[in-house]
Amino acid sequence: MRPGALDRDQRRFSLDQLLQHGLNAIILGGTYALLGIGLTLIFGIMKVVNFTHGEVYAFGAYVMFALVMPLGVNFFVALVLAMALGILLGAAIELLLLSRLRDADIDTTMLVMIGAWIAMQNTEQLAWTGVAHSIKNPFPPEPLVWGALSVSWNRLFVFAVASLLIAGTYYLVNWTKFGKALRATFQDRDTAALMGVRIDRVNTATFALGSGLAAAAGALLGPVFVVVPTMGDLAASKAFAIVILGGLGSVVGATVGGFILAFAEELGSGYISSGYRDAMGFVLIILILLVRPTGLFALKERIS
Amino acid sequence: MLTIENLDCRYGQVIAVSGLSLEIAKGELVTLIGSNGAGKSTTLKAISGLLKPSAGRILFEGVDITGASPREILARGIAHCPEGRRVFPQMSVEENLEMGSFLRRDAAGIAADKARLYERFPILLERRTQAAGTLSGGEQQMLAISRALMSRPKLVLFDEPSLGLAPNIVERTFDIIRQIRSEGTTVALVEQNAYAALELSDRAYVLEQGHMTLSGPARGLLADPHVQSAYLGTSDAIPVN
Ligand SMILES: Nc1ncnc2c1ncn2[C@@H]1O[C@H](COP(=O)(O)OP(=O)(O)OP(=O)(O)O)[C@@H](O)[C@H]1O
Ligand SMILES: [Mg+2]
Repeated sequence: MRPGALDRDQRRFSLDQLLQHGLNAIILGGTYALLGIGLTLIFGIMKVVNFTHGEVYAFGAYVMFALVMPLGVNFFVALVLAMALGILLGAAIELLLLSRLRDADIDTTMLVMIGAWIAMQNTEQLAWTGVAHSIKNPFPPEPLVWGALSVSWNRLFVFAVASLLIAGTYYLVNWTKFGKALRATFQDRDTAALMGVRIDRVNTATFALGSGLAAAAGALLGPVFVVVPTMGDLAASKAFAIVILGGLGSVVGATVGGFILAFAEELGSGYISSGYRDAMGFVLIILILLVRPTGLFALKERIS
Repeated sequence: MLTIENLDCRYGQVIAVSGLSLEIAKGELVTLIGSNGAGKSTTLKAISGLLKPSAGRILFEGVDITGASPREILARGIAHCPEGRRVFPQMSVEENLEMGSFLRRDAAGIAADKARLYERFPILLERRTQAAGTLSGGEQQMLAISRALMSRPKLVLFDEPSLGLAPNIVERTFDIIRQIRSEGTTVALVEQNAYAALELSDRAYVLEQGHMTLSGPARGLLADPHVQSAYLGTSDAIPVN
C-alpha cells in the first residue's frame, strides 16, 4: 500500500468523524435551545434568576418516566402530558411564590428560588429514589444510517419536536398579541402597563411557558439518557451558559446559544477528552464574559 | 371631568404629593407647573393608576378610579404619555402604535386611526418598520403622542413632552397638543417650559414640594410676579403681553 492511500483514508475517517460530531451537536442543540429559551424569557421578562428551571426539566423527565413505565401510557401522549404538567407547575410556582415577591429585593427572591430548587429535587428523590431509571421508547432500535453517519430514530424525533417547539415559541413571541405584550413588558414594564397590559398575567404566562419548554426538554431527553434526581443541576448550569451566550431575553440568541454549546460539547468531548463535555459550557461562559459580557446577541438600542 | 380630592402620594417614607386637589373640566387644557421634584409626574402616575395614592380620591366622569389598575383607567378613557417618551425601543414604529390600541377590538377603527396618524406624521410612515429606539428624540415624541392617541382617549396626560427637544420641535409639539385639544380631547399638561405651556392653557396649577400653591387662569399666572420670577425666568427676558 502506498503511503498516500493511508493518508487519504485517515482524512476520510476524520471528516466522517467530524460530520458525525456535527450531526450529534445539531440534534442535541435543539433541546439545549429549548432549555435556554425558557430561561431567557423568564429572566428577560421577570428579572428572576430561575433556579427551579433545571428541576422543571427533571420534572418533565420524571413525568415521562412515571407515565410510560409503571402506568404504560402511550409515549406520545405522555410527552404532551409532561409538557402540559410542566406548564401547570410553572404557573403554580409563579402564583404561589413569585407573585408574592413582586416587591421583594433580588436576594430574597433568589433565596426563595434556591429553596424551591432544593425542595423539588428532594421531592423527586423521595418519590422515585436516587436510582437512575430508563424510559423505553417506541422507536426502532437500529439507527438510521447514511453513509458513515448514523443517528438513532429517537434522537431524530427529539430534534423534530424541539424544532417545532422553537418555531412555535418564535412565532408566539414575534407575531401574536400575547407576544407583543410580552416584548413590551420586557422593554418597559410601566409603559406596557399604561398600554393596558396586565403585567401579572404576563409574568405568570411567561413563567408557565418557560417551564413548559424546560419540561419538554426533559421529557424529550429522558428517554435518550436516564432519569436521576440530580439531572436538573447539570441542565440548569447548561441553560445558564446558553443564556449568557445568547444575551438576556433574546429567543434567537438562546437558540443560537443552544447550538453553540452543543457544538462545543461535542467537539470538546470528541477531540479533547470526553471528560470535558460538561466543562465546555463553563469554558464558554468564561470566554464570553471576557470578550463580550452582554452576550453574542445583545440587543442594540438607542436611549435618547 | 376629572376631580382630585386631597391626594397624598408617597414612595416609602418620601412624601411626594400631599393634600392636592384639582379639577379639570371637559374640553379644557390644564397645565401643572412646578420645579424638579415638585410631584408633577407623581400626580399623573396616580391619575393613570401606575401609583396607588396613600390617601385622597380621584374621580373621572363621576366614577371613583382611585387605586384602579392602569388598564381599567385606560379603558375608561385616560391615556398617559409618560415623561421621557418611553417608546418601546426594540419594537417597530408600527408595533408601538399597535401597543397604543392594545385594548381596542375594532380592527377597522384601529387601521383608520393608524392611517390618520401616519398622514399627520409622515416621518412615522417612513420609519414604519424601523425600531423605535433608533428614531431621533423628536420623532420618538411624535410616536409617543401618536401611541397615546391610538387608544382614542377622552383625556390625555402629557408629562413634559418638550423635554430635551430642539426649539423648532418643541414648537411643533405644542402645536400638536393645541390641535388635539381643538379636536375635543381634554388635556392635562405637565411642563418645565412654563411660558409656552401657560400660553397654551386655559388654566394652570402650580405645585411646590408636593403642595399646590397657586392656581387660576393661565393668563393670570403669566402675569403673577411669583410665577414670573420662579418659573418664567427674569421677567424682562420674556415678554409678557
Ligand atoms: N420611585 C421613586 N422612589 C422614591 N422617590 C421618588 C420616586 N419617584 C419620585 N420620587 C420623589 O418624589 C418627589 C416627586 O417626584 P416627581 O417625579 O413627581 O417630580 P416631578 O415634579 O415630576 O419632577 P421633574 O420635573 O424632575 O420630573 C421627588 O422628591 C422625587 O425624588
Ligand atoms: Mg416629572
